[in-house]
Amino acid sequence: MRRLTPIVVLLLCLLPVAGCWDRREVNDMALVIAMAMDKEPNGQYRLSVQVPLVSSLGSTSGGGGGTSGDKSYYVDSAVGKTIREANNIIQSRMSRQLYYSHHRMIVIGEQLAKEGMSDVLDIVARFPENRLTAYLVMTKGKGIELLNAQPQFERFSGEAMRELVKMEAIAVSLKDVAQMLTTPGVDAFLPIIDAVDSHPKGKSKEVEFMGIGLFRGDKLVYMAKSQAIKGLRWFQRTFTPFSVVVSLNDKERLTVYFSKGKADLKPVIKKGRIHYDITVFATSVVVENMTSLDLDQKKNIALIENKLKKEVEVSVKDTLNLMQKYRTDTIGLGIILARQFPKEWRDTYRKNWNDHLPDITFQIHSKVVVQDVGQTTKNITKEEGGRE
Amino acid sequence: MCSYFLLMVDRLCKQQAHCISFQQITHNTVSFPVAGDEMEFKKKSKTKELLETIDTCSLLELEGIPLFPSLDDNIEVLEKLFSDCSDFVIREFRQRNSERAAAIFVDGLIDTKEVNQALQSLMVLEDGDEDIRVIEERLLPVSQIDRVSDYKELLQAVLSGDTGILVDGNVEALTLGIRGAEKRSVNEPEGEAVVRGPREGFIENIRTNTSMLRRKLRTPRLKMKSLVVGRETNTNIVVAFLEGIADPQVVDEVSRRISNIDIDAVLESGYIEELIQDNVYSPFPQLMYSERPDTVAASLLEGRVAIFVDGTPMVLLAPATFWMMLQASEDYFERFQMTTLLRWLRYLFMVIALVTPALYVAITTYHQQMLPTTLLLSVAAAREAIPFPAIVEALIMEIAFEALREAGIRLPKTVGQAVSILGALVVGQAAVQAGIVSAPMVIVVSLTGIASFTIPHFNVAISLRMLRFPLMIAASILGIYGILVGVLLILGHMANLRSFGVPYLSPLAPMSIGDMKDVLVRVPWSFMEKRPSFLGIQNARKMNAGFSNKVQQRGGQAGTTSGGKSDGEGKA
Repeated sequence: MRRLTPIVVLLLCLLPVAGCWDRREVNDMALVIAMAMDKEPNGQYRLSVQVPLVSSLGSTSGGGGGTSGDKSYYVDSAVGKTIREANNIIQSRMSRQLYYSHHRMIVIGEQLAKEGMSDVLDIVARFPENRLTAYLVMTKGKGIELLNAQPQFERFSGEAMRELVKMEAIAVSLKDVAQMLTTPGVDAFLPIIDAVDSHPKGKSKEVEFMGIGLFRGDKLVYMAKSQAIKGLRWFQRTFTPFSVVVSLNDKERLTVYFSKGKADLKPVIKKGRIHYDITVFATSVVVENMTSLDLDQKKNIALIENKLKKEVEVSVKDTLNLMQKYRTDTIGLGIILARQFPKEWRDTYRKNWNDHLPDITFQIHSKVVVQDVGQTTKNITKEEGGRE
Repeated sequence: MCSYFLLMVDRLCKQQAHCISFQQITHNTVSFPVAGDEMEFKKKSKTKELLETIDTCSLLELEGIPLFPSLDDNIEVLEKLFSDCSDFVIREFRQRNSERAAAIFVDGLIDTKEVNQALQSLMVLEDGDEDIRVIEERLLPVSQIDRVSDYKELLQAVLSGDTGILVDGNVEALTLGIRGAEKRSVNEPEGEAVVRGPREGFIENIRTNTSMLRRKLRTPRLKMKSLVVGRETNTNIVVAFLEGIADPQVVDEVSRRISNIDIDAVLESGYIEELIQDNVYSPFPQLMYSERPDTVAASLLEGRVAIFVDGTPMVLLAPATFWMMLQASEDYFERFQMTTLLRWLRYLFMVIALVTPALYVAITTYHQQMLPTTLLLSVAAAREAIPFPAIVEALIMEIAFEALREAGIRLPKTVGQAVSILGALVVGQAAVQAGIVSAPMVIVVSLTGIASFTIPHFNVAISLRMLRFPLMIAASILGIYGILVGVLLILGHMANLRSFGVPYLSPLAPMSIGDMKDVLVRVPWSFMEKRPSFLGIQNARKMNAGFSNKVQQRGGQAGTTSGGKSDGEGKA
């Protein structure tokens, strides 16, 4: 024991020797909040990073906070043959070390999306600081413009986009994209976010959720408006609530909010043709009633439910038509087929599934329940007896 | 001077029977340049040796030196012993119609009025007697009286506050236990205040303290072994335990370790604690102390041993375990749900007190990805203008906090306020505004400070506070890995630690599931049927199983005894 003690002490002394090599203080770091990747016309990549200017974030120390009046962030971008090269160019003019662990938003520019995004996504997955939970969005035009937008509510557009994607759009993380790109039988899609002027036009530019970009492979094929693609929401693992307007006739309209929903797909193969039985289950809430309909009455509820059924079926049909038109399987019909008919999938469809898509037939059913009509049954400001 | 020696030698020769110890002394005499025959030389050297050694010796060395039959001899020895002791009084008097006598006492330690009364009965009221036994049995109306025959016993008693009575012609003396030293009144214990529970705390007087314990445990099974430690202080020590509950081996071990102590002074129970603990270098206290009689009584009932030390209100409890130091006496007086929650709060804050600064340093210098983005931005904004790395900042603040705390304790209460204002203003605000330390660091330090104050026992709190610093340094070098290494080392040390043979972390490690009821939670009293088993107690059962079952039934005791409606409910 006596002899062991100095050896143990020496060994313990080795521990601190191994330390400190990756020490970095917070004030030597440039925290990347969001990054955008674009493709330049000459084929090179442009990397843009949004970095908060920590000193102008309004710390308690000294006379910080607002006096500078300018933006609380800084966007820099550089062009390189690879993303990493662009990163190194940015780093070479930045006094602080770029730190990617906190970026939660990756913006893909339109050009890059069209030419294929899987090349640039490699570094995002490979570099350990990056997180696979970061959300991926695309934009019309250049990604850097989204980073330069200054929304009113959040300090950085990256933060605003993240909240928006989680709340309004169908959130797609890097992990999801990776899975969608590598799994046969499903194609990737990305939410589209654009920088728009607020109304009335002010200093700020808000970010707005515009629609869904449909990909085939890693290439963008179509940018769908959010109204046109709302049928996609039924097929997601977690349903994102949305609302629709139901027209009773030319003038009278109701707004109904779908709070829960899911879709059931049953593939059938008949004589080499693929057919899907799709049933959509939806639960809805009436949020606005501009008609004189008395929602206290069961028949009126049934009327709305019927209208909604049609609405749901149309929305699904529109989405499927879009998918067939651009030969992209955004929903993942192929996966369902593969689970049900593994042998047929492996033998016939797997190789050129996207070419089979236009030949698929569908039958769409739906079950919609109006669960709640709000606090009143009729429009309380309208006279009684307008309609039975 | 020389004639005095001769006188002494004469007297000594008359009572050879008592001189055994003196003869032992003669064996190592130094040369004595007096002419005369061998016999004369020996006699003279004996006397001189006695007086020379007496001059410097402590009480322990007086052991076995008997009292002389002659009062004058005794007085001469005492006067030599207590030369220049202005508070030592030798009151010579003549008993009524009898022998001369002397009362010896230390002024201020006795109750003068009572002693006067006692002397009155010898000098005025009754005829005296030459036999000290008769005086003890018939003449002195004093309840606490003792007969002693050697100097050590006599002086120990007198220096503790007794009054010694020496009567000419007797080789024994009487000690009258009429003590009246000034003492503090019983107050609320400041170190262990409670909201609910007894408000009395121990004081500096050991007799008062043992009486307070006796008032809690009125049983002959409460044993109090008396010991004396300290060559110069001769401090009285009482080892108290409950016979039939405490492990006799532990009691023996405690007594043995205390009686082995060889030190000049024991001024506080801390001396004893450090001299009998198992591991000298451990940062953790291996004996608990308490100034509450109820805590001590409860510990005895769990089978522990209490060590009272005269002159301090802090009573030591052994064997101690880590978890008992995280418990307050109030835990057993309040409802069990609150207590359980409070215990978990303490456990949580114990961890916070230990690792928060280290975690802050580790996360802000190595693991920034662990913080939520917005929090990291706040931290980054606050640290933007700070010139120091996080570890330096943390050390500055933690050391400043420890200094503030220390200053607050030592200063008189009126000045203490100034310290807290300075601390709050200068460290809390000015330092942040000047950009020397960051606001999150101030928060971390304050949280750590508050957390360490939630631990009921100061000595554990302070050891945890001390261990923060190595953890912080480990965190600054190796990040969270360093904290883990540090915490593992601490845990390993704690698991290795023993207090009188009882593992320090018991009952958690080694695991004793039945005893968790008083560590992880505090079960209702009716579930505490048994005493903790890890202490090696003899009689485990606290309450009758039948009784506790009754209480646990729905409706409680009423459900089984009152009959009628509630009875049916109780069985339901």
